[in-house]
Amino acid sequence: MRICVPKEVATNENRVAATPNSALSLQQLGFEVWIESDAGRAAGFLDEAYAQAGVTVMGDPRKIWDEADIVLKVRAPDRHPSAGFHEAELIRSGQTLVGFLWPAQNPDLLEQLARRGANALAIDAVPRISRAQKLDALSSMANIAGYRAVIEAAHHFGRLFTGQVTAAGKVAPAKVLVIGAGVAGLAAIGTAGSMGAIVRAFDTRPDVKEQVKSMGAEFLLLDFDEEGSGTGGYAKVMSDEFVQAEMELFRAQAREVDIIITTALIPGKPAPELITSDMVRSMRPGSVIVDLAAEQGGNCSLTQPDKVVTDGAVHIIGYTDLPSRMAAQSSEMYANNLRHLLAELCPEGNGQISLNMENEVIRAMTIVREGEITWPPPIKTELSTTDSGDALDTTIPKSIVTEQKPNTRQRAVTTLIGMSIGILAILGLGAVAPASFMAHFIVFVLAIFVGWQVVWNVTPALHTPLMSVTNAISGIIVIGALLQTTSPSFLVLGLAAVSVFIASINVSGGFLVTQRMLRMFSKE
Amino acid sequence: MPDGIILSVYIIASVLFILSLGGLSHPESARRGNVFGMAGMAIAIVATIFGRQAGHYPIIISMMAVGGAIGAAVAQRVQMTAMPQLVALLHSLVGLAAVLIGVANYLDPAVDHQGVDQTIHEVEIFLGVLIGAVTFTGSVAAFGKLQGLISSTPMLIPGRHLINIVIGVVCIVLGYQFISAGHAPDQLIPLLVMAALAMIFGLHMVFAIGGADMPVVISMLNSYSGWAAAATGFMLSNDLLIVTGALVGSSGAILSYIMCRAMNRRFVAVILGGFGTAGGKTAATHQGEVNVLTESETASLLQSSKSVVVVPGYGMAVAHAQHSVSDMMKTLRANGVTARFAIHPVAGRMPGHMNVLLAEAKVPYDIVLEMDEINKDLPSTDVVLVIGANDIVNPSAQEEPESPIAGMPVLEVWKASTVVVLKRSMATGYAGVDNPLFYRDNTCMLFGDAKNSIDEVLKSL
Repeated sequence: MRICVPKEVATNENRVAATPNSALSLQQLGFEVWIESDAGRAAGFLDEAYAQAGVTVMGDPRKIWDEADIVLKVRAPDRHPSAGFHEAELIRSGQTLVGFLWPAQNPDLLEQLARRGANALAIDAVPRISRAQKLDALSSMANIAGYRAVIEAAHHFGRLFTGQVTAAGKVAPAKVLVIGAGVAGLAAIGTAGSMGAIVRAFDTRPDVKEQVKSMGAEFLLLDFDEEGSGTGGYAKVMSDEFVQAEMELFRAQAREVDIIITTALIPGKPAPELITSDMVRSMRPGSVIVDLAAEQGGNCSLTQPDKVVTDGAVHIIGYTDLPSRMAAQSSEMYANNLRHLLAELCPEGNGQISLNMENEVIRAMTIVREGEITWPPPIKTELSTTDSGDALDTTIPKSIVTEQKPNTRQRAVTTLIGMSIGILAILGLGAVAPASFMAHFIVFVLAIFVGWQVVWNVTPALHTPLMSVTNAISGIIVIGALLQTTSPSFLVLGLAAVSVFIASINVSGGFLVTQRMLRMFSKE
Repeated sequence: MPDGIILSVYIIASVLFILSLGGLSHPESARRGNVFGMAGMAIAIVATIFGRQAGHYPIIISMMAVGGAIGAAVAQRVQMTAMPQLVALLHSLVGLAAVLIGVANYLDPAVDHQGVDQTIHEVEIFLGVLIGAVTFTGSVAAFGKLQGLISSTPMLIPGRHLINIVIGVVCIVLGYQFISAGHAPDQLIPLLVMAALAMIFGLHMVFAIGGADMPVVISMLNSYSGWAAAATGFMLSNDLLIVTGALVGSSGAILSYIMCRAMNRRFVAVILGGFGTAGGKTAATHQGEVNVLTESETASLLQSSKSVVVVPGYGMAVAHAQHSVSDMMKTLRANGVTARFAIHPVAGRMPGHMNVLLAEAKVPYDIVLEMDEINKDLPSTDVVLVIGANDIVNPSAQEEPESPIAGMPVLEVWKASTVVVLKRSMATGYAGVDNPLFYRDNTCMLFGDAKNSIDEVLKSL
């Protein structure tokens, strides 16, 4: 099948749905890849690079759409600025369109695609399960957006992020509040933290607390009994009382922090308004708000999408194209997500795709199939999942821990019994054995204790040399053999000689290999 | 030389042997300790020869020279990855020597005891030969398993416990017969028969033990060789032999105990030769996707990290990758990364095996840390590289009470930010248990031969 990648027609969209690298991988799956001329220019991928990767570069956008079996895009079909057509008109029956199609917001598009008998997969409808993480373009774009949000904030912020003590005075670190600890929020936390700022974060879902803390930020706790985790790892709409309490928290924070980055979104609904104009006015002059929810209405009442608004001395950044501003990186990641999706659609690697409706991931993402609208997908009974995969339970199961308690008591009893038997045995032995034997026995017992003490002090790193040196000294059995060589019996002499021979191997081998090993241990 | 002088030399030799073991508490004092050991051995042998306690000098000198030369040659040439096999072989020699000396002592007309003395003497001979025989063949079997001549999966004959018990009972009966019949020449037969049975027992016992338990087996045989020497000492009324035997015996016993504790297995269970091995408890099988990395991605991951810990396992030894790993660590440390090693007590096939391999690869010993020392640092580590190790980093030991390895102390590598596991394939380790570590979100797999993989990573660094 042929994959075609047109140049994005939306204004200010710099991303491209395939890079030279991803094109190579797609070809390895058996697909032929075509791309529109200059499609990747804005992202830093030139036509020559694509050509070198075996991609056919086409000048005519109509041809790209005409000859395609699969069309990979970033944005939904839109009007071409100069060539005078709307991309949706070019879709043929039997073609498969992949991109950020936002089925909930674009019912007309779905109708149109269905009427034309095409198939469509919405990359934004990927289920939030571990298996699908490599296809999750929402996460990969959010990651970049979170990072870029901090960069934009720093760009508009008049002071340093990191605290410093300089000869010209002390600089306090910037205080950053991140609202919403999803992928974008965590990326923002990480970036702000690595730039040296003090970071605080808030989220209605309590399970993200650990993730936030692991990135070195403080998690702001709202003393409220409501829990914010909805289905699929997203947040849900909270009750009015909760929202009131939330806003009080933000009001207090607004007076203290320099930078607020908000990422609060609820799927399918407008973004919750969390930062009111009076909060903005209470912020210190020079503060910056970056509203990542601008496209969905904004978390701040003063946000205007795609603009930077200045209220008093506070900048409110409402850019909606943060991933596009980092087109080189986001195109690579998006192209990778698409590549994994194609691999999922083409498990045999033969250049043919099949929309397997039994496959959980494909089913969720397929919004139009063979002329039928197949969105929304049937709801599966949810097992509790969180956004980032399994919540790892690090507590040791009770059954393993409690076993220890009876053991220590058991061990004390066993030790007592063991000692009693030992004492009785020695007494018994003393009753029957002659004094000469007991003399040797004293030596034996004491030597065992000395050995016990000494060997416990051996460092584990030297356990192997310990074994070889004890081997060597057990070669002292050669003395035993030597003592027997005074015997008149020839047989005994023979046996003794063999023993001397064997024991000598032990002695020299043991000591010399120990020496060789010990020589290798050196400090830096 | 009067007896008194010889005995005092023996005392000095004993002290030197004790100091030798004591020196092993730290690598700095260890080399001196080895020299003490050699000195002790030398003076003891010299005193015995020149004390006219030995005869036929040409024979014994030539035997010692040839034996010594062979030992020296082997010590020079053996590869560090083959140390467990060498140690096993040396144990077998001690066991064999004990048997021969015991038999010779029985046959020796110069040895004459009466009454109770004689009984005790014969008990000593019996025990010496018994322990020596078991040690001899057990060590040979261990050598075979380690060298790969025999399969490392346990050979479980049906009714093996019964066989062991029968052998034990027969040996006791033979012993009784041997001792109660007085010192007649034909009593050699029960002794030899017992020796043969003991040798069979030794083979059988070690055959029934799996490859993963080898550290315990070798330590145990080390201990037995000590007791064999001690029994010989009793037999010959030689205190030096008794002391040395006791030292070696308790040393081996301690190592066995440490190994068992590190595998959470009962000491008694392993000594009784597989009597108490967990008979295949089924562990939960794990399904799921693994994240896969390439060598260059691993290299970039390492470069962007501040702290790295490497966990080596037997797989690293098999692949002879220790030098490549050492070079990689040197490069990382030169770039300012805190790079250390984490050694689990039963990593490898012998206690302390990994440490020796790393020392051979010129890794400074102060960056090689034991499990207890480094476990607490793992949560704050950026990257952990697991090379050829499996069961020692298996979280099932802590999280699944039903697992065959439940309760075993492990290196908690999953608490680090990222774990990269170098493995040839997804096959299970020796315990045959699936490892859920591979399926965790923060774990990536780097498939391939350890040495090749590390060399590739090194190129990208």
